[in-house]
Amino acid sequence: MQRAVEVIVIMSLVLAIALLLLLASEYLLPGESVRLLASFYLYTTYNPSLPNYTVNSPEAVTAIVWDYRGLDTLFETAVFYLALIAGLALARRLYEEGLREDVDLSKSGLSLIVKTVTRLTSPMIIAVGASIALHGHLTPGGGFQGGATIAVAPMILIVVFSTLFLIKHGVTSDRMLVIRSLGLIGIGLTAILALLMGLVIGKFAYVFQNMPKLNSPIGVPATIGNILISGTLWFFNLFEMFAVAAGFVIAFIILMLVKGGEK
Amino acid sequence: MVAETTVYFIMAISSLISVVATYLAIVEKDLVKAVIYSAIQSAMYALLYYLLMAPDIVLVYLPVAVGLIPGVLLVLIGKTERWEKDAKSG
Repeated sequence: MQRAVEVIVIMSLVLAIALLLLLASEYLLPGESVRLLASFYLYTTYNPSLPNYTVNSPEAVTAIVWDYRGLDTLFETAVFYLALIAGLALARRLYEEGLREDVDLSKSGLSLIVKTVTRLTSPMIIAVGASIALHGHLTPGGGFQGGATIAVAPMILIVVFSTLFLIKHGVTSDRMLVIRSLGLIGIGLTAILALLMGLVIGKFAYVFQNMPKLNSPIGVPATIGNILISGTLWFFNLFEMFAVAAGFVIAFIILMLVKGGEK
Repeated sequence: MVAETTVYFIMAISSLISVVATYLAIVEKDLVKAVIYSAIQSAMYALLYYLLMAPDIVLVYLPVAVGLIPGVLLVLIGKTERWEKDAKSG
């Protein structure tokens, strides 16, 4: 009863604020001038007739995330990695202790039906995640989205089977750390790819450059054969997918192995 | 016009459901139920993002807020305690 009253009070407060905003929006609307930036992005994101401005990616969000505002995303990835290092450092001793326990794999986990369904669905989850990441420059999605989707599969495997099941099948936190580091190295190298090409050829180029710009004619090719890869965007999405998926798996393995209090 | 109104109506309904789910997640003493209420709220938010034409955010939000976070929280609850203690007695 008390809960129902509280829910009604909260709902009416929310509705009142919504009504206030509705009334206010009659008088206070941002003008057309704030839309110039958005129309610039939409006009240039895939526009082969503007070779010095376009990203050659039909997906404007990925173009903004990895090209127009690429440095932001680079630092975001760095923050995620630092948080992971802190987690690894905190859980190191607990992780070593947790590994010692011996569990009979055939008896642990959920029932046979759930296990069979999980065996069937987890490759599908990974395939969907890979397609989200590798088509990130064409359709909604990208490296982080694909990596997070892939990370759901080991999460389900841990819940349905056990953490030891993953570790015995080769998904150890050390290997995930290697994949994660390779992904980050790939992101770093992709960020200076145009610069390296410029150094080799002997022409001026920027860090984080993708397509040719006005005073630096070097650019990462937008197509391989006839397939559109949008220069650096495809590589960024690929490496970010590996880095994010492996990072999440490390976090899960550590969290699951930490023992609870003796009760 | 009718289609637009329907979309706005679904958005209003799902945001109100998310408000209720958030409230229940906060007051619930059974933490497993609280996690499920929180997942319902996240699912409603994902629907809102989709209707607001932000499919990129939906693709982040669904695996993280409906898949990963409830999974991790459920395992952590299994390792600690299922019932939240009273503020007075605890």
